Amino acid sequence: MSSDPYNAMVREYFADPKHAGDLEGAAIGYFSDQGMHIRLAATVDGERITGMRFRAWGCPHVIAAAESTCRQYEGCRVAALEEFTSAQIMVDLAVPIEKTGRILVLEDTVRSLGQAIRDSA
Amino acid sequence: MNVYLDYAATTPVDKRVLAHMQEIQTTTFANPASSHAAGRQSMDVVTGAAQQLGGLLNVDPDSLLWTSGATESNNLAILGAARHRAHRGKHLVTMRTEHKSVVDVFKELEKQGYAVTWLSPGDDGRVSPEVLAGALRDDTQLVSIMHINNETGIVQDIESLGSVCREHDALFHVDAAQSVGKVHLDLQSLPVDLLSLTGHKFYGPKGIGALYVSSRPGIHIEPLMWGGGQQRRLRPGTLPVDLIAGLGVAAQISADDIDDEYSRLAALRKTLWEDIRTIDGVHVNGDLNNGYPGILNVGVDNVEGESLLLALEPVCVATGSACNSQSQEPSSVLRAMGRSDLQAQSAIRFSFGRQTALDDVKFAAQTYCSAVKRLRSIAPERAA
Repeated sequence: MSSDPYNAMVREYFADPKHAGDLEGAAIGYFSDQGMHIRLAATVDGERITGMRFRAWGCPHVIAAAESTCRQYEGCRVAALEEFTSAQIMVDLAVPIEKTGRILVLEDTVRSLGQAIRDSA
Repeated sequence: MNVYLDYAATTPVDKRVLAHMQEIQTTTFANPASSHAAGRQSMDVVTGAAQQLGGLLNVDPDSLLWTSGATESNNLAILGAARHRAHRGKHLVTMRTEHKSVVDVFKELEKQGYAVTWLSPGDDGRVSPEVLAGALRDDTQLVSIMHINNETGIVQDIESLGSVCREHDALFHVDAAQSVGKVHLDLQSLPVDLLSLTGHKFYGPKGIGALYVSSRPGIHIEPLMWGGGQQRRLRPGTLPVDLIAGLGVAAQISADDIDDEYSRLAALRKTLWEDIRTIDGVHVNGDLNNGYPGILNVGVDNVEGESLLLALEPVCVATGSACNSQSQEPSSVLRAMGRSDLQAQSAIRFSFGRQTALDDVKFAAQTYCSAVKRLRSIAPERAA
């Protein structure tokens, strides 16, 4: 069992978050709780998400989770956002159980983004 | 490349210490309690180490008890003194900024019916003699205040505080885990009754420490363990001759080098602070003028602490005391100094030592500045 609190995916996404930043003309989802702040931005063409970026203030797991979400949904159908759950991210990033609430902040941010896209349609 | 700047957590064993220990392990391994020639040879090694440590502290070697480290020394001093004097009173005094190995002992004593007054530090992190005097009662038996704080490097005025204790006939215990071997301590002149130390904070081995018990009349402690007559029945158990010998050499080396090393560390800390002070919102948790120069604790606004720590890799630093590094809780020391949870959480402790070079400090400063800039660039505006 590793003493490293971060797995390889967390380390990679934290060190090189390719989707950190903003997108012009994007729909914005934002949520803040438990001291975490997450902002997701997405550009949409019809039913498809063409670009996705994040900004996050939080621990490495939160930053990596936001990056992972952008990688996962960029290029996907907007409807796919409705199916987002934190469970797979918890597994993929080996998020400690005590940080579950922080990943749920991401889940709420994704919902906020979905609503923003619907509102802008 | 790893740059180790966590000397307040532990120091590497000095090569001279290691060489001496290796020799002792193979040549002088007998039980020092044995009365045969080999045992007496081991006891001579123990006695020699006590003289070396006694020389560093300017105390009678017979006033030193060997322990497993500062945690045990703190437990033995506080529990031992409180229990021995319980018939005279059950009021005790300590600070909120103490190490957990002191705080938790006092919490345990509270459960056992003792009354504890927890002193908060002033804005400068220190407690004044006047504040201490105001906390003392007729039934106060023991005051425990650390010398150098392990998180901030803040130095308490143990001479003045000890004098207050003497005036009130209360025993004065000092956790000196961070100060022995690093700053001058003359226990012949300081009004200290009990003092805890550990070898691994000043280039000795882990697993060995000591408790100084003043030979002043009326200073007695109860043992915490039973099982042998070693060390005046106050701390039984077979003495680890090699570890004790190592601590002795570490004490001797520190005594020879203490002033030069202090000046060198002060220059390193100055360089680090000068290189990072330009960051917007950065502040010192401590005292640059009067604090111990081997520790620089800095906080920075609008940066999350855990991410900062990871972004700082490969610089090995601490967010709080090493004992607390697994905890997500903000430092109780910084909270007691009036820092908010957010401020306390962003605190990074840099601590320097004998092997720290100027290049290490420059690299750490550069890495810190880059990490803060990068994390701020990722954060949403509303987090600020």
